[in-house]
Amino acid sequence: MKTHACLLLALLVAPGLLACEPVPARAQGQTMEMKDMILDPGPLKPVDSTLKVRVGEMAPDFTLPGVLTDQGGKRSVRLSDYRGRKNVMLSFVPAAFTPVCSDQWPGYNLAKELFEEYDTQILGISVDNLPSLFGWATQMRGLWFPVLSDFWPHGAVAQAYGVLRTDGTTERAIILIDKKGVVRFARSFNINIRPDLGLIMGELHKIEEPPAETPRAGKH
Amino acid sequence: MNRLAATLALFFLLAAPALAAKPKAGDALPDVEVKVRLAPAEAAHLGLPADTKSFRLSHIKAEALVVEIFSMYCPRCQAEAPAVNRVFERLANSPQGQKIKFLAIGAGNSAFEVDVFRKKFQAPMPMVPDADYVLHKIFGSVGTPSYFVLRRAPTGRGFSVAFFQEGQFEDENAFFEQLLRAAALR
Repeated sequence: MKTHACLLLALLVAPGLLACEPVPARAQGQTMEMKDMILDPGPLKPVDSTLKVRVGEMAPDFTLPGVLTDQGGKRSVRLSDYRGRKNVMLSFVPAAFTPVCSDQWPGYNLAKELFEEYDTQILGISVDNLPSLFGWATQMRGLWFPVLSDFWPHGAVAQAYGVLRTDGTTERAIILIDKKGVVRFARSFNINIRPDLGLIMGELHKIEEPPAETPRAGKH
Repeated sequence: MNRLAATLALFFLLAAPALAAKPKAGDALPDVEVKVRLAPAEAAHLGLPADTKSFRLSHIKAEALVVEIFSMYCPRCQAEAPAVNRVFERLANSPQGQKIKFLAIGAGNSAFEVDVFRKKFQAPMPMVPDADYVLHKIFGSVGTPSYFVLRRAPTGRGFSVAFFQEGQFEDENAFFEQLLRAAALR
């Protein structure tokens, strides 16, 4: 009986103290920008799909409508247009106006020069429709990379990459594609947590040797 | 089995308590250990040994400590960074500069992410990563940016909250004066 009581106590107290335990948006240091307008869904199943792309294979091509806030308005983006020109990072996020991703992309705004040093274009993708994406991107004070709408047919690109969750949102996934169009890194991260930028830069470093002065990514 | 369960329960009960509600003046902060390797200039600012690999807040040589909770991912923190740099410089160069120190905590940020922020804004103050939100929780899981002025507790061990503000400051000069007043150095 004593054992059970202690175990129960430990289980009740433990979750709030475990470092990697998903915590509510507010407890995650939610930026003041968003904190009053974000619905907190609570912890979600970390990954809810199976990747269909593999490292070393050609990335499935797609064309999606998108918005590019700093150049005003709508544009259509085809992945293969970057072939021979830029590495591409596909950043899938679950949906607009959700807790973690509402600050993931502003962070990539700050790291723009780092991505440029690795000659890498970010393409943000979510399953929201264009008006929502435009409103969201504008509210993030603009983004330097296009935000693409995989709205209709719903999540078709996410489906092709194996990052569409069973509730119709997408994973918090990062896919790195080199200038030949080959997948070099693909991972669906725990949806509740932001992927570490250091890890992403470490993977980009394997693809593209940057100028000598670029800081090396840390260990992960 | 019994012992394991009891040990587990004890471990979690003894873990540092965090501020349960929104922080307010008078709240005592647990004297938490910060495990981070500081740059020599950062250690010097905080009055810690140059080869510091971990320290407790109480080790910081100051009567008052300004703490900023920020994130590389937070647009308001990015927008406010140049002003925060100026406030830091003014504090450091003020006659009270030896008594009031500054520590920025990157909530949910890895060391790499803190470094990106530091380099982008050439932030001169000590900055520590808090990838697993351990410090962030101690400080009441506040939104970013948030600012605290901590004053050394009368016992001399640890700090308690003298001032707390969640969100950006509007007037840089007024904010600077406010920090000094809260630190009881004005």
